[in-house]
Amino acid sequence: MHKLLYALALGVVGAGIVHIAILLLLPDFSERDAWSRLEGSVDMFNMTRIDNTRVANVLHRSADPFFQVAACRFNLEDGYAHITAKGDVPFWSVSVYDRSGQNIYSFNDRISTQRALDFVVVTPEQMIDVRKELPETLTSSVFVEADMDEGIALVRAFVPESSWEPAITSYIGSLNCRQE
Amino acid sequence: MFTTIVSAILAIAIAIFGGAASVWYALDVEHGFGSQTVGVWTSYPDLGSAESDPYSKARVAREGILVLGRAEGLTFTASTDSSGEGLRRECTYVIEGTIPQARFWTLFAADAALAPITNPFVRPAAVQSQAVLRLPGNGVSITVSPHASPGNWLETSGKGEAVIVLTLYDTSLTGGKNFSDIELPQVLRKDCDA
Repeated sequence: MHKLLYALALGVVGAGIVHIAILLLLPDFSERDAWSRLEGSVDMFNMTRIDNTRVANVLHRSADPFFQVAACRFNLEDGYAHITAKGDVPFWSVSVYDRSGQNIYSFNDRISTQRALDFVVVTPEQMIDVRKELPETLTSSVFVEADMDEGIALVRAFVPESSWEPAITSYIGSLNCRQE
Repeated sequence: MFTTIVSAILAIAIAIFGGAASVWYALDVEHGFGSQTVGVWTSYPDLGSAESDPYSKARVAREGILVLGRAEGLTFTASTDSSGEGLRRECTYVIEGTIPQARFWTLFAADAALAPITNPFVRPAAVQSQAVLRLPGNGVSITVSPHASPGNWLETSGKGEAVIVLTLYDTSLTGGKNFSDIELPQVLRKDCDA
């Protein structure tokens, strides 16, 4: 009886340790995270509309029906990621996520004077290089400095009513995500 | 000897299953770690951000979600009405009250898995602030119902559990620092289809 109680106590303490271990390891070992889900439908450096795909609701839980969403996976090892769009929409917002799906930085159309969507994701090292001599193409860009190798850039555009649909679709279609 | 082995197996079994089950429970529960509630509305203001707690981080990884950033907006979900009863798609509700300051907001009905309810016709089960009628005093009254109703109508369809999702875009509320003094609308149950 004494032994059994001892085993129970040991089990509860062990459960606590297992709880903490699973909790902390889960983000690193999850095969269902956003990156893994996107890998199938969104190519590297290819801005792809995702709100009308099967992964959409899973990805941005409670996917707002008033929004069109596009995502692009990027890798900063060989250069920074530059994302631009052509046109004007009632509202857009951008989130940059790291490999594990944590939101690193977000901003909306109030960030730039012309409400133009033009931003680059750079690592701190690339930032130093870019600062030395600002490339012509980046003079009006917003800089997102992120200390990571891989990530996801997500653009959301508001569709106030269905008559806006074609305009927003062509805006999302004009999104360009490239390595420079 | 035999009791030693049994005890050891028991201890290991409790540790592994207890540990795993408690993580699952903690990640699945609706008002989990990091949640804030205002009336019937629940929000996870820190979910997915770099400062979030280990539970939120694990949740993001397990569910594979990409949550709205702070500069984008803040989402509230309601799965019960103001009397505490679960929301049903076949019932009529009136959402009444004021909505906090934001550039605009959207409100839509979703199923239990938070997928927006789609209607057989063109109308989505959603309304947004730029196209709603307002009450004097800047409040709103929105009827959530499978039947057409005057005023602001959020059309639902089907049967089963429902969740109402309110998202405030470009709002100063993000970060959850001033949640205690905000007011969100009530969800009042009217009647249900048999």
